[in-house]
Amino acid sequence: MKTAIARRRNIGISAHIDSGKTTLTERILFYCKKIHKIHEVKGKDGVGATMDSMELERERGITIASATTNVAWAGHSINIIDTPGHVDFTIEVERSLRVLDSAVLVLCSVGGVQSQTITVDRQLRRYNVPFIAFVNKADRVGANPAKVRDQIAAKLGHRAVLMQIPIGLEGAFSGLVDLVTMKALYFDGPEGEIVRVEDVPHEVAAAAAEGREALLDAATLHSDELTEALLEGRAGEDLIRAAVRRGVLARALVPVFIGSAYRNKGIQPLLDAIVHYLPDPGEVENRAIDLDAGGVERVLASDPDARTVALAFKLEDGPYGQLTYVRVYQGALRKGEELVNTRSGQKIKVGRLVRMHADAMSEIAEAGPGDIVALFGVDCASGDTFCGPGLNLAMTAIHVPEPVISLAIEPVDKAAADRVAKALNRFTKEDPTFRTHVDPESNQTIIQGMGELHLDVYVERMKREYRAEVRTGRPQVAYRETIGRALEFDYTHKKQTGGAGQYARVIGRLEPLAKGGFEFASEVKGGRIPREFVPSCEKGFRASLGKGQLIGFPVTGVRVVLTDGQHHPVDSSDIAFQAAAQGAFKKAYPKAGPQILEPIMKVSVESPSEFAGNVFATISQRRGVIVSSVEDGTLSRVDAEVPLGEMFGYSTALRSLTQGKAEFTMEFLKYGRVPALVAESLVEQHLESERRRLQR
Amino acid sequence: MTLTVKEELISRSPLRLLERSISGGLGRGAIGVLASRKGVGKTACLVHIATDKLLQDQHVIHVSYASRVDHIVTWYEDIFKEIAKELKTPAALEEFDDLIRRRVIMNFKQDGARTEQVLRSVEAMIVHGNFRAETVIVDGLDFAQAGPDDLRRFKDLASRLGLEVWLSASLKGAEPLFDERGMPRELEGHLGVIDVLISLQHHGDHVHLALVQDHGRLAPKDLRLRLDPTTLLIAKH
Repeated sequence: MKTAIARRRNIGISAHIDSGKTTLTERILFYCKKIHKIHEVKGKDGVGATMDSMELERERGITIASATTNVAWAGHSINIIDTPGHVDFTIEVERSLRVLDSAVLVLCSVGGVQSQTITVDRQLRRYNVPFIAFVNKADRVGANPAKVRDQIAAKLGHRAVLMQIPIGLEGAFSGLVDLVTMKALYFDGPEGEIVRVEDVPHEVAAAAAEGREALLDAATLHSDELTEALLEGRAGEDLIRAAVRRGVLARALVPVFIGSAYRNKGIQPLLDAIVHYLPDPGEVENRAIDLDAGGVERVLASDPDARTVALAFKLEDGPYGQLTYVRVYQGALRKGEELVNTRSGQKIKVGRLVRMHADAMSEIAEAGPGDIVALFGVDCASGDTFCGPGLNLAMTAIHVPEPVISLAIEPVDKAAADRVAKALNRFTKEDPTFRTHVDPESNQTIIQGMGELHLDVYVERMKREYRAEVRTGRPQVAYRETIGRALEFDYTHKKQTGGAGQYARVIGRLEPLAKGGFEFASEVKGGRIPREFVPSCEKGFRASLGKGQLIGFPVTGVRVVLTDGQHHPVDSSDIAFQAAAQGAFKKAYPKAGPQILEPIMKVSVESPSEFAGNVFATISQRRGVIVSSVEDGTLSRVDAEVPLGEMFGYSTALRSLTQGKAEFTMEFLKYGRVPALVAESLVEQHLESERRRLQR
Repeated sequence: MTLTVKEELISRSPLRLLERSISGGLGRGAIGVLASRKGVGKTACLVHIATDKLLQDQHVIHVSYASRVDHIVTWYEDIFKEIAKELKTPAALEEFDDLIRRRVIMNFKQDGARTEQVLRSVEAMIVHGNFRAETVIVDGLDFAQAGPDDLRRFKDLASRLGLEVWLSASLKGAEPLFDERGMPRELEGHLGVIDVLISLQHHGDHVHLALVQDHGRLAPKDLRLRLDPTTLLIAKH
């Protein structure tokens, strides 16, 4: 670990799909000498850009999983974390935003701020991530970087300032004027690798002077020292940069850089800017949850000698086995050292430690605070935290929501079956919200997750990465059943068929349990039910919860109080009491006001204000409840609670009603009662499918 | 017949006294205004009025110009808890979940959000969102900026959609704020549009509610209602 913290950057490159993010990343790798040849996106040469490590992403032109790569520039070590721009892959987004310290927001010179830019900006805001902007494609027809700067101010509400002005635009785009140094920059050589510094050409001198004026105006807001220096006529480059940097770190200023990644122009100054203006890991406050102190947050120290805290944020199946991407927050990772996985309590030993390029790696012995590296041979899940001895911290909340939707999948042939098993094993480790099991009745493999799209992506990934083709059923909402009122039971289980008989009687009551789950209490006195058989009763009741009698979904929210019973000195047994409990539950349940519960999702829709009415309509048509609507200038956000069962196909409906200008996010909120009419039709459907099953 | 929890809450509410004083209530298509200096308790009164409507199974839209929504949500929870406390019935709290399903908070963040835009969105919520509001609460409209036309637009919407609209007016001028009849001097230009005008004023350590105008006629009258300083509920004096 030779790089001091101040010389380290962890950045994300965030962008709208077509703004040229992958091309830009490719050029950065090239100029930092990480790759020796430039590939174009969408694989004209059949190789494809280096950062898109997953085929699915290549195909769709989007980035789903975040790869990370390390480059060196001007004596600094820069980790580039590829961030998904799409809102739906929440876990991926949250993980990558947690790991990076700052970002480069890429915009298109022609398209400017688009709806996805707004989404990305919102994510950066939510996680308080400082960023600089790069206006790409200055060589395109219609390019207008100054207009894009205005849009960053008007549509995103940031104070944005041009750090450069272009020399020529569109086809005539030939170079840049750096407004800090007041020098012209040209990019020579076959791949723009030679930066030629010249005096500012006459034709842009006036525009440059004006631009510098605006830059100084903005910078002085963040530095009294600069203001004074300007008055005395001695404002040096370092002072200006320091002021801009302060503004960026406070998220109060967005410096805007210009270029064309495709034409190899403006990339090296952007790399300089990453070094100059974006924070090092020591300048960012990171917190962890203290598991020993009831979830209190602790601020971590970017100190290599402190006890280690590191987060496993991504797993990858590579040609060399399982790779675990880790960010170190505090202390250091050293080869041979022992750490504890605070989720599982397991000890791990740091074996091979490598720094990653998109598809190459270099071995290292130690990684310090702020570093992002990969470990070999560590068994863990993404989101796990590794701590040094004596620490019990978690970088992410341990609570994982229950999946709310399931899908039956069936491999198309035997060869695919093995690969499906392998893929599922990997996915469940990567993503704790993704689960799988085999349904004992239908013998089908069921995958479960947090939404339709969530499962779609995994089905696609099976196909792409594991060549495992599957047929899928219809997505199924994970309903629950519960009881609506308390009810007493008194049930005797008796069986006399030669040999030893069975006898057990249980008396007590079922009660609704508002918080969900299952509770069991025994108030049996005087050995009416021998002590050793009380757990048998609990076991019997618990077994009854697996399948409700309304629609066959698990029963939740029940408390059983056992008050009395009877036994027989010879015929009572564990089995007999289990059977009695099951019999009692089966008989009592239909009379205890059984109800169906459905997952209610918290849905948040953002759109331009003029579509707010349409958005309201989509919610109300789906049995949704609008909780609030916020209009902020031209943007509107509607927060609502909508049953998951009504949300299938929502993205398509929303797109068509808002000309594709609305976006929504959805997450599980709670289980809620299904209205009587809907419940009736669910029961009807269940009976029908049972009938069909029996006929088979 | 025993009263249900809700019926009891409704019948015992001091707001019944207010209704009696203003000819049976504000009524559909009418505009009511609560006026005082900032920080006297207008929002508390509005939330109490809204909660009372919710208890009567009405739908309420709460329009706010505040920068955040979460504190309004908390207001409702607190006011409801205070109301429920008087009954000492734990069951009452469970009603709250049902209750807030009939309330939508509409927040307009930008300074000086235009009334046309606000009304357009409120109407869209009712018509397209199929949210059948009977009462609209408007908290934080800047009367100094909004002309009489803005208020008239609210009134048009109220009569067109049959809404009862309650607004708060924050008085900012120099003392005396009120003339000898108790009329807030800043609102004189709006009197033609306002149906019911109530002022909130400190009297010693109490905040009194006084009726200034009742359905178009000047009717200065102490409502015998005050704002309870601990519960922030409207209470009988």
